[in-house]
Amino acid sequence: MFFGRVIVAVSLVAVGLLGCDKSSVPTRFLRDDFGDSVAIPRSAPSRIVSLNPATTEMLFTIGAGSRVIGRTKYDLYPDSARLVPELGDGLRPNVEAVLGARPDLVILYASQDNRPAARRFRAAGVNTLAIKNDHIADFRRTVSILGAILHDSARAQTVIDSVTRTLARVQNATRGSQRPRVFWHIWDAPLITVGSGSFMDELINIAGATNVYTDITGPSGPITLEDVARRDPDFILAGPVGDSTIRADPRWRIVRAARSGKVLVVDTLLVARPSVRLGEAAISLANQLHPGIIR
Amino acid sequence: MKQFRTAYWGLLVAALVLVAMIAVARGAVPLSIAAVLDALRGRGDATAIAIVRDLRLPRVLLGALVGAGLGASGAALQGALRNALAEPYLLGVSGGAAVGAVIAFSIGVSTDAAITLASFAGGVGAVFVALAVSRAGGRTSRADLRTLLIAGVIVGAFANAAIMVALAGAQPNTVRGALWWMMGSAADATWRSVFWLFLSTLLVGGALVYWAREIDVLALGEDTAASLGVDAERAGKRAFILAALLAAATVSAAGLVGFVGLVVPHIARGFGIRAHRPLMLAAGLIGATLVVAADLAARTVAAPTELPLGAITALLGVPFFLVQLRRLS
Repeated sequence: MFFGRVIVAVSLVAVGLLGCDKSSVPTRFLRDDFGDSVAIPRSAPSRIVSLNPATTEMLFTIGAGSRVIGRTKYDLYPDSARLVPELGDGLRPNVEAVLGARPDLVILYASQDNRPAARRFRAAGVNTLAIKNDHIADFRRTVSILGAILHDSARAQTVIDSVTRTLARVQNATRGSQRPRVFWHIWDAPLITVGSGSFMDELINIAGATNVYTDITGPSGPITLEDVARRDPDFILAGPVGDSTIRADPRWRIVRAARSGKVLVVDTLLVARPSVRLGEAAISLANQLHPGIIR
Repeated sequence: MKQFRTAYWGLLVAALVLVAMIAVARGAVPLSIAAVLDALRGRGDATAIAIVRDLRLPRVLLGALVGAGLGASGAALQGALRNALAEPYLLGVSGGAAVGAVIAFSIGVSTDAAITLASFAGGVGAVFVALAVSRAGGRTSRADLRTLLIAGVIVGAFANAAIMVALAGAQPNTVRGALWWMMGSAADATWRSVFWLFLSTLLVGGALVYWAREIDVLALGEDTAASLGVDAERAGKRAFILAALLAAATVSAAGLVGFVGLVVPHIARGFGIRAHRPLMLAAGLIGATLVVAADLAARTVAAPTELPLGAITALLGVPFFLVQLRRLS
């Protein structure tokens, strides 16, 4: 039963039975987003360094928080994660500081600039998992991989199911309603918005709206204020800082939504991470766009 | 010409060895001296061995080679161009190398070897463009050494503009990689990169030291050089290209490490050295010491966050330079 669950979870992520250890019990491997093989050790790792806020949240949620011994300075959720020693940045991490924590698993975001670090962790004999976590599907995949590695696929599946159910509930609730066109303000100088390659675009759709910048295919991209005005969104989504910029800067008056005060202030810590609070994020967005549509 | 006293050589070598030892012993992870010595011999804890042998040692060596290359390159250029403010980065080397690296980053290439090659090609390419520009500006078809510096500055400015255009619409990933590269860092040092930089420093630096006499003559002025039977244009161009190659090799290994090429030759001259053979060797030793010390500061001052190496060398180098300027005037 237990083995069955592990194998199911592992087979989700393309597996091979590649190696054998001393006692000739096969150790399973999976392939990470750098194309490297990651061992699924026979006993769950107990010293994990997680260099990505999203995976840190996931580890705490599936009950492995006590196994996390290192995090980045941006991993602030849940509150108990703040008690874990901080090891610097998650992109181009300090390899020496991470190795010095003596981890048996390092998890990092699979961006190109993290490749040298991943290679070094492997060279030092540390099991390393590089994961690209950009879409809602990546969230499911990542939690299921973590479940397999931690030998607790049941709990991982519960987390995935509950988030998936919440997202489905929000999607159903907003299905019949009118879909406002929204512009998501990520950064002001330069002006950056969400493209269709991001889970935030997926969240907009689930919450019953349409992104005016789906033609940007990456996770985000730079744009101009004039172009925002031309696309004439019904609402602007922005964090607290972006909101005050939009209010204070007279240039934003050329955008109808800014002029008429249709700026929805979002909690950036909640909605800007593809993690276990995706469901909560979708509910909060849906209620901002369609007040009272879901509880 | 004042002779460089033998005692100074011992002092310079001792300073480099001492700083290098401290740099191997200290880092983000506190290790006892005994643990470091054990790790160097491959004994004891596997993590400590990995930290000392695969992280710190190559990093210290790479830093030393970068500093040595930049110091020697700066000394050769200041002599050959008879300009105390000449430095390798002013010749378009840094701008060209950065363009090469940024192009590599923005087409999604990320292997160390590819970025090293791209930046080296960019740096060398920019130097040849600068040579062509200086030739175009002259009355004859011969390259004018005096206009070379200006040509280098112009090529560098053009390179900067190209970088900004390339990065304007780039993904955060690319921008971050390129920016980090431009700030200079020895963090990605591997034994392989140390080997390649060692080889190129040995070859190109060796050639510069071999032709050091010509630089001595050039430093006297082109007319004097001609009357002494040296083809000033040929000798100047050779020194220029070799110095640029040396700087381009360091830049492709560790990005832009500012101010070393400018400041270090002045420190070396502060010891009373005038002849270019000992001057380049002394500048190499001082440059190595300065960069190893700066890299030590970069990785320990705000640990576990790393500071940009290029900024630290400038912070350390500028006060030295100002003291030197006061002494000269």
